[in-house]
Amino acid sequence: MTDSFIINGLAGLLIVTSLLVIGAKKPTSSAVLYAFQSFVLVLIFLALAQIKHAHELNAWALTAFITKVLLVPCIMYRALGRLKDPAADSTVISPALTVLASAVIVLLSYVVVSHVQLPSITDLKPALGVSLGHFFLGLLCIVTQRNILKQIFGYCLMENGSHLTLALLANNAPELVEIGIATDAIFAVVIMVVVARKIHRTLNTLDVKQLTALKG
Amino acid sequence: MTSTQLLLALLLIPLGASLLAFAIRWIGSGSRFLATTVHLVSISLVLVFSVLIISHVLSEGAVTALGHWFHLDSLGAIFLALVAGIGFLTGLYSIGFMNHEVRNGEIDVKTLCNYYGFFSLFISTMILVVISNNVILMWVAVEATTIGSTFLVGMYGQRTSLEAAWKYIIICSVGVAFGLYGTVLIFSNASNILVDPEHATSWTVLVEHAQLLDPTLATIAFVFVLIGFGTKAGLFPMHTWLPDAYAEAPSPVSALLSAALSNCAFLIIIRYYIIVSKTLGPDLPQAMLLAFGLMSIAAAALFIIVQRDIKRLLAYSSVENIGIVALALGIGGPIGVFAALLHALNNSIAKALAFCGAGNIMLKYGTRDMGAVKGVLNVMPATAVFFGASVLALGGMPPFNVFVSEFLVITAGIKAGHPWLTLFVMLLLATVFAGFVRMVTSVMLGKAPDNVQKGELGLLKLLPMGIFIVVMLWMGIRTPQPVVQLLENATRIVLNKGDAPLGFTLQSPWQMLNSTPPTNPAPTSTAPAAVPAAGQ
Repeated sequence: MTDSFIINGLAGLLIVTSLLVIGAKKPTSSAVLYAFQSFVLVLIFLALAQIKHAHELNAWALTAFITKVLLVPCIMYRALGRLKDPAADSTVISPALTVLASAVIVLLSYVVVSHVQLPSITDLKPALGVSLGHFFLGLLCIVTQRNILKQIFGYCLMENGSHLTLALLANNAPELVEIGIATDAIFAVVIMVVVARKIHRTLNTLDVKQLTALKG
Repeated sequence: MTSTQLLLALLLIPLGASLLAFAIRWIGSGSRFLATTVHLVSISLVLVFSVLIISHVLSEGAVTALGHWFHLDSLGAIFLALVAGIGFLTGLYSIGFMNHEVRNGEIDVKTLCNYYGFFSLFISTMILVVISNNVILMWVAVEATTIGSTFLVGMYGQRTSLEAAWKYIIICSVGVAFGLYGTVLIFSNASNILVDPEHATSWTVLVEHAQLLDPTLATIAFVFVLIGFGTKAGLFPMHTWLPDAYAEAPSPVSALLSAALSNCAFLIIIRYYIIVSKTLGPDLPQAMLLAFGLMSIAAAALFIIVQRDIKRLLAYSSVENIGIVALALGIGGPIGVFAALLHALNNSIAKALAFCGAGNIMLKYGTRDMGAVKGVLNVMPATAVFFGASVLALGGMPPFNVFVSEFLVITAGIKAGHPWLTLFVMLLLATVFAGFVRMVTSVMLGKAPDNVQKGELGLLKLLPMGIFIVVMLWMGIRTPQPVVQLLENATRIVLNKGDAPLGFTLQSPWQMLNSTPPTNPAPTSTAPAAVPAAGQ
């Protein structure tokens, strides 16, 4: 009970850090907070490795630490730090509404996963609900943020949600699976950053509302 | 060469060509010629090796290589044929098209080398999608196709092309993240059931043990997979990136995106459909496919009828056609599945030709606006004939290939007991046809603007179109027997029928698509599929 409480508690912390990533004003702050969130994810992997005796998760934790705590936040911090567009630093919905929407998402996700009948996750259903909810929080970030750099963070949050689901449900998966997913996600982030920088250089904006020349 | 060597060669040749093309940009003078040569050699070898491996699949059955990592069955072979064939012809067309762009100062030689580099990378990643047996690798490959093609979409570097590239990468990455979640759910579920969790990544093993999966997780997973890979395939309402990307990309890339990539993404949906149908029974996945298919056809028909941009119109036609494929699969049964796969093939050939034709028109007129493009028949007669034929084919006019597959889809709908649905679909197809006729008459006839000089754009921009039209007519008038055999084998795979005969005869108005392999000439014919009715 105590073991699963630690994991469920850390999963709850993941949601809080997500809200911080979404709510941060500057992309560089989001990068730092994303590193913090990924660190919480690494802690969950380590806790799961001990509790479930799944030693593969120790290797996952190491890969996640290198890619998500160090590499991606560093790329984002360095590449996005100089890009500024104050006009884009607003959201489609207010922060209070974002928190409310997040609560509804997590609740709905928990209801959905409560029907899953797998013996290995009986006591970890709250964490599984959080992982699904976390995925949709990333989507919420993408649709509610006007700054295209924040949309990249939204994608990263979605990817962290899938990663947690994988760790909860298949913690005996071969390391190669995890490396494949992590590497591909890094490439996706790098390409998004390159395109975002090109957009800023050419159009001098980061505001998604300015990217509306194509219609119909 | 062994089948394993062939599969590896298919992956490594375009990958190597891609790296070479990127490197060649630094050598200075001669880089244009060298990059073009590397590109030509790569697309030709991919075509030859694909033909070899597909004939091997036809004669010997499915190929599995490198343990459980790669698997090419008849279903995959159809899509490999598409990637290699369309890749070759659009690659050939690219040479003439991009040389024209360099000559006119639209791009420089370094960008040309990058273009060839990303083109080969894109081909390589699509081949990886098609031959992967590992579901995680499948996802990685689909994500990699986005990465490879984003720069192709945004190549011109203008406001609109960058906007299209951003929408493309963000929407498709989000979509494919849904696909990842679905993949993770299926894999996680299976790894709890199987003794060796490493086997839970193999699609072939997942299909074998599909009955053991948790129904709730399988349902959630299929929803995620359909939304995720459906985004990449261009199903409504996740299609919003598609008209922008297809319109802004260079025309050969639009052709490749539409004819090869969307089908690759749909192949993944079919692979999961096979698994989930065994877990839940076919009713729920079929209902979902039917709903998405119908919505896609209806939405696309409305956009097609009012569209004024030639390439955007063709893009919406892609939404419509992937909708038809989803609808046919949703109707199900042997005829529905066969029709879905045949339509994926037929539409791709006609659509690639149409985008090449639109490319020639753009190069000549400098615009895609139907209001400004007039008198193509007079200015470029050969291009006009090829383009007009492809557009009418896409509208479903006989004797072209798309008519045959649309006819089979309608047949499947009627035989499956959906007369009202079929009637509604026919109305939508008639609307689409009207939209295409409107475009053809608008751009072909009328007086060409004074600043447009009469004359074709050269052999390299016509030859691939000529080959496309021959294939299109061949598939329409008499679908080649090896293709039919591949389609039948693939239908059996989708329906989990093993080696059993499909037990029906398919008949289009002027050709019998014999549903029994030549080695087993005793089908249980239920009835001719339909009388040669009005069709369209």
